[in-house]
Amino acid sequence: MDTAESSSTSKKIQVQRYKPDDNPEKHYLNEETGLWSWLTTVDHKKIGIMFLGAITFFFFVGGIMALLVRTELWTPAKTFIEANTYNQLFTLHGAIMIFLFLVPSVPAALGNFILPLQLGAKDVAFPRLNLLSFYLYLTGAGIAIFSILNGGIDTGWTFYTPYSSTTGGAVTTMVFGVFVIGFSSILTGVNFITTIHKMRAPGLTWDKLPLFCWGLYATSIIQILATPVLAITLALVGMERILGIGIFDPAMGGDPVLFQHFFWFYSHPAVYIMIVPGFGVVSEIITTFSRKHIFGYWAIALSSLAIAFIGFLVWGHHMFVSGQASLASMVFSFLTFLVGIPTGIKMFNWTATLYKGSIDLKSPLLYIFGFFFLFLVGGLTGIVLGSIALDVHLHDTYYVVAHFHFVMVGGMVMAFLAGLHYWWPKITGRMYNETMAKIACGIIFVGFNVTFLPQFVMGSQGMPRRYFNYIEQFQPFHQVSTIGSFILGLGFLMVFYYLVKSLFGGQKATANPWGSRAMEWQINTRPPLHNFHHIPVIINGPYDYHKPMEEFQLGLAESPTDGHGQESDLEVTSDGKEINAE
Amino acid sequence: MADHSSSTTHSRFFQHHFVDAEQQFQTAKMGMWIFLVTEILMFGGLFAAYIVFRLWYPDLFTQASTELNTFWGGVNTVVLIGSSLTVAMAIKSAQLNQKKNIAINLGITLALAAVFMVIKYFEWTHKFELGIFPGQFYDFGGIAHEKANVFFSLYYLMTGLHGIHVLIGMGLMGWLLWRSLKNHFDSEYYTPIEITGLYWHLVDIIWIFLFPLFYLIE
Amino acid sequence: MSGHHISTDKTLLGVAAALLMLTILTVGVNYIHIPAPWNIITAMGIAVVKAGLVALFFMNLYWDERFNSILLVAGLAFFGLLVGLTLLDTLFRANVMPAF
Repeated sequence: MDTAESSSTSKKIQVQRYKPDDNPEKHYLNEETGLWSWLTTVDHKKIGIMFLGAITFFFFVGGIMALLVRTELWTPAKTFIEANTYNQLFTLHGAIMIFLFLVPSVPAALGNFILPLQLGAKDVAFPRLNLLSFYLYLTGAGIAIFSILNGGIDTGWTFYTPYSSTTGGAVTTMVFGVFVIGFSSILTGVNFITTIHKMRAPGLTWDKLPLFCWGLYATSIIQILATPVLAITLALVGMERILGIGIFDPAMGGDPVLFQHFFWFYSHPAVYIMIVPGFGVVSEIITTFSRKHIFGYWAIALSSLAIAFIGFLVWGHHMFVSGQASLASMVFSFLTFLVGIPTGIKMFNWTATLYKGSIDLKSPLLYIFGFFFLFLVGGLTGIVLGSIALDVHLHDTYYVVAHFHFVMVGGMVMAFLAGLHYWWPKITGRMYNETMAKIACGIIFVGFNVTFLPQFVMGSQGMPRRYFNYIEQFQPFHQVSTIGSFILGLGFLMVFYYLVKSLFGGQKATANPWGSRAMEWQINTRPPLHNFHHIPVIINGPYDYHKPMEEFQLGLAESPTDGHGQESDLEVTSDGKEINAE
Repeated sequence: MADHSSSTTHSRFFQHHFVDAEQQFQTAKMGMWIFLVTEILMFGGLFAAYIVFRLWYPDLFTQASTELNTFWGGVNTVVLIGSSLTVAMAIKSAQLNQKKNIAINLGITLALAAVFMVIKYFEWTHKFELGIFPGQFYDFGGIAHEKANVFFSLYYLMTGLHGIHVLIGMGLMGWLLWRSLKNHFDSEYYTPIEITGLYWHLVDIIWIFLFPLFYLIE
Repeated sequence: MSGHHISTDKTLLGVAAALLMLTILTVGVNYIHIPAPWNIITAMGIAVVKAGLVALFFMNLYWDERFNSILLVAGLAFFGLLVGLTLLDTLFRANVMPAF
C-alpha cells in the first residue's frame, strides 16, 4: 500500500474522512443494467436481492398452503379438500417454509447484502460460488416443484422412514431437491466463514465485529457441520427407495430410528440456522434505536457460538417417544435445558441495552419488540417440551406446533421483517410508509397470537398435529386459530404492499436515516457497485454511540486526485487502536 | 475501481476484491478446508451408520468381509497413496516454477486415479456376477447371516460415494492438466493446484479408513 | 511463512514411503489374528497415523495457519458427536429393533 507509512514499532496509516453521498447518480443498480447483468452478476448485493425475491415468492406460496390447511380445519370433518390433499399441503407448507424460506431468509438474502458492507469488503470471498449457491437454490426449488406436480409428497417435511421409503408419490425427487438446496446452504456457509475470517477491513478486529456478523458466523458453522449429514441422510432415503439398501427400512433389515438420529442431527441445529441470524438482526436494531452501546457485547457474541454448539447436542429430544434408549432420552433432555442458558443471556442483554437508552420507536424496533414477546413464549414452551415426562404427553400435539411457530414465525419471521425494514432504505434507497409499517406490525402481532395461542390450549388437551379429522370439542379453538391465520396473512400482504409501493415513489432515503454507527450506513445509499470508494479503516466498534460520526467514516488515504475523501486529518495504527491528531 | 495494491504486479488471475495475491491464496485455501469439513461430515453419516451396524452385528462384518479381496484393496491403497504423492509433487513443482513437472505430475495423478477406478470396476463387476448386489437385489447364498445385504449396502454406498469423489477428482485433475499445459501456473499463482490437492488428499484419507474397515476384518 | 512452505523431495518421498510401510503393516497385522477388540483398534490406530501423515505433510497442516488445523479437528469432533450420541441410543436399547 503506497500511502502506508511504517514506523519502527507499529504501522501508521494515513486516513481520510469519507462522507457518504445521500443519493449518488451511480450505484450498484444502474452501473450495470439489463437482465443478463442480473443473471450473471457476482455482486453480493444483487445476489442478495435475487434471494430476497425468491424467498418472498416461496414465503407466499407456503403461506397460501398454510391458509388452505387452516381453512380445511374449520370443521371437524372434511371442509373442502380431500384428506390426501391435506396431507400434501401440510407437508409442502413445512418443506417450503423451512428449506426455501427460513433457512436462506436472513443469511442468504439480508446477510449476503449486508455482511460484506459491515466487514468493509468489496465482496464476499467467493463471488462466483455465491452465484452458484443461488442457482443451486433455484434448481433445488425447481426439483421440489416438479415433485409436487409429479405425484406430490405426504410424508411431512421430516421424511420419516419407513413411511417415506415405502409411500407412493415423488419422495425420491423431493429428497433430491432438498439435497441440492442443502448444497446451496453449504456454499453460503463456506463463503461467509471465509469472508469473515479473511475479508475484514483494516482495524476490524474480532472485538469490533458487528453482532450480525457474529450471528452469521455461528449460523455458517452450523450450516457447514450439519447440512452435509442431512444431504447424506436424504441420499440414503433415496437409495432406500431405489435399491432398498436396508439401512433405515426395517423390512430390509435397517433401523428407522437411525434415520431420526441422522435427520435430527441436521434438523435440530437447523432450527438455530433459522433463528441465530435473527438474533444478530435484533442486536443491530436494538442498539441503533436506543442510541446506546450494546450491553454485554462478548456475552451476546459468544452466546451465539454457544447456541451453535449446544444445538448439536440436543437432537434426541425430538425422539423421546421413538423407542430410543431411555439413557439417551435422559441425556438429551438434560442437554436440552442447557440451550436455555445462552438464549437467556441474549434476552437479558438486549433488555439491558434498552435500559436508559434514548429509544426511538421506529417500525424496525417495533418488530423487535414483537420478537421479544413471541420468542420468549416460544423459547419457554421449548423448555417445557424438553422435559421427558411432559413431552411424552405433548409429543406430536398442537402444543408442539404452536411452540415452533412461536419460535420460527414469532421469532424468526419477526426478526427477518425487522431486518428488512431496517435495511430497506440501504437496499432500495427508498423509505416505506412508517405509519403503515407500524399498523402492519400490530396486525401481524395480533393475528399471530390469535392463530397460535389457542393451539397451545388444544395441544395440551390432546389434539394431535397433522390430523385431518378431530373431535368436536376442539372446534372453537380451530376456528379461532383459522380466523387468526387470515389476520396474519392480511398483515403480511400489507407489508408486501407498502414495501413494493415504496419502490415506486417512496421518499428517497438518506445515507444514514437511522443515525447508526455501523459500517453499512457509512457508505452511499444506494451503495456503489464495489461498496467502497476507499479502503475503510475501523477504529471504533459498531456500537460506540458516544463517539462522533466522523470517526466512523474513515478510510485509507489515497491519492489526492480520487476526489472522494476530505483532507487527511488523522493517523491511526494499522490495528486501529490509537488515534493521533495530526 | 482503483486497484489498491498497485505496488505489486498481479497474476492475470488476480481478483479485484482481494487486497493482494497472498490474501486471495489464503482465502481460497481456507474455503477449501471448510469445504473439506463438510465432506468429512457427509462421509461421517455413512461412517456413523457403519459403526452402529458393526457394533450391533459384529459377526456379520467378519463373515461378509471374506468376500472382499484384500489384495486388490491393498493395491488400490498403494495406488491412491502414490497419487497423493504426485499431487504434492505437482504443488512443489509449481512453487519452484518447474512448469513441465507440474504437467507430468498431474498426468501421473490422473493415470493413477484411473487405475484405481479400473480396479474398483473389476471388484464391483466380480461381485455382481456372484449375485452380490446392494439392498433388495442382493442374491448371494454364500454368507450365513440374515443381514448380509446390509453389509454390502454399506460397502457399495461408501466405496461408491468415494468412487464418485475420485471421478470428480479426475475431472479436476484433467482441468488442471489442461490449464498447466496452457501455462497458467507458476510460482506466483498455483492456487487451483493447491486446493484441488487438498481435496485429493482428503479422498485418499477416506480410503485409508475404508480399506481396513471393509477389507481387513478377521 | 504460512501456506507457502515448499516441501523437499526428501520429505515427500519419505512420507510416501512411511505410508507404504504402514499399509503393508496393517495388512500383515491382519493375518496375525489379534483378538477382538484389539484388532480393530490396531487397524484404526494405523489408519489414524497414516491419515495424520497425509494431513500434516501432504496437506501441509504442519506449516499452515493454525486455523485450518482447527477446522479439521472440529470436523472430526462433530463427527464424533454424531457417532457418540447416536451410540448412546443404539448401544443401550432394550431390544435392537424397536417394537413396532
